[in-house]
Amino acid sequence: MTAAPDPRPLAPHVFVQFCHGEREYEPLDALTVRYELQGLGDEELQAVEHSVLWYTEGKGEEDMGVHFFERIVDRDRLPAAAVTRSFATDLPSSPLSYEGVIVKIRWCVRVRLFFTGGRDFVSEHVFTLGRLPPARMPVSEAS
Amino acid sequence: MLGDAPGPGRVSNPFATRFTRPGAIPPLDDEGGPLDVASLFERAMSAGPVVVIEGAHGTGKTTLLVALLARAAANRRRMAFVRAASVADAWTVAAAIGGASRDTVIGLDGGERLPVGAFTLVRVLARLRGVVVLATTHRPVGLPVLARCRSTPRLLAAVVGHLPTHGGRIDGSDINEAFGRHGGDLREALFDLYDRFERRDGRG
Repeated sequence: MTAAPDPRPLAPHVFVQFCHGEREYEPLDALTVRYELQGLGDEELQAVEHSVLWYTEGKGEEDMGVHFFERIVDRDRLPAAAVTRSFATDLPSSPLSYEGVIVKIRWCVRVRLFFTGGRDFVSEHVFTLGRLPPARMPVSEAS
Repeated sequence: MLGDAPGPGRVSNPFATRFTRPGAIPPLDDEGGPLDVASLFERAMSAGPVVVIEGAHGTGKTTLLVALLARAAANRRRMAFVRAASVADAWTVAAAIGGASRDTVIGLDGGERLPVGAFTLVRVLARLRGVVVLATTHRPVGLPVLARCRSTPRLLAAVVGHLPTHGGRIDGSDINEAFGRHGGDLREALFDLYDRFERRDGRG
């Protein structure tokens, strides 16, 4: 007996390698990123975007800022599966990464894949900028 | 679709707005099962020009509205979104409908904040312009109801199941307590779970 094919599209995987293995950067550091796409299956890529951005994460309104962005639509430049691409940028001086309680500031490398069928896939890889100490919750677990 | 891990030594709070906002998770029924958005969209288009999504605060009205607008966009319909924050926004709503091109699908969030009688104007304008208005409201407004949203602890549990992993920091009793404490308002219950997650994230 043969199992029925799974109708769900394959989940691609984006392997990202930072020039600092621990993913910790200081303001104005140079950031170089190499990434590799896997699990694309038979789906054809229409475009790839890679960016470096920060965003807030918390209970309230969200904010974000894009520091570096590149969109690749040229068919000859689109990364094929298992082919490594890279890009580089100098990081800014702020905002610094922050692990707050109500709000956090996260920096990340985002790789977004657009397929010809209309589907897209986003892969985010967080790194830290600066060395702000994390905030702490009050000790009591009041409820 | 969002893939891969949040990062080195940093755990995302799965109850943060970026994971729970309308559009981030699919609309669910009051038992936590998936809603048939395509079918609801077809019903809305045939029942127009104005249909409403009824329900109390934090029961998933805006989540459903956003999913229906995404469906409209997928069907290559023009769509627009307008939020009423106060009575004064009646003019903004009227301008959005009056300025829309034919066949536009307009999402009106916060319809309960409009003055009494405003929906009569909305209906007249929508018919004149040939647009469809999908409105959320807390109370009956005398227009066809597309869906009545209601929250239950099972729905909240299902929503939590759609979020990124909480790594065992939240259990069923947390979900039931958060639901009860906030009277079934899922938005507030998710904020409550956000705080619980923070307390148990090893940084307290």
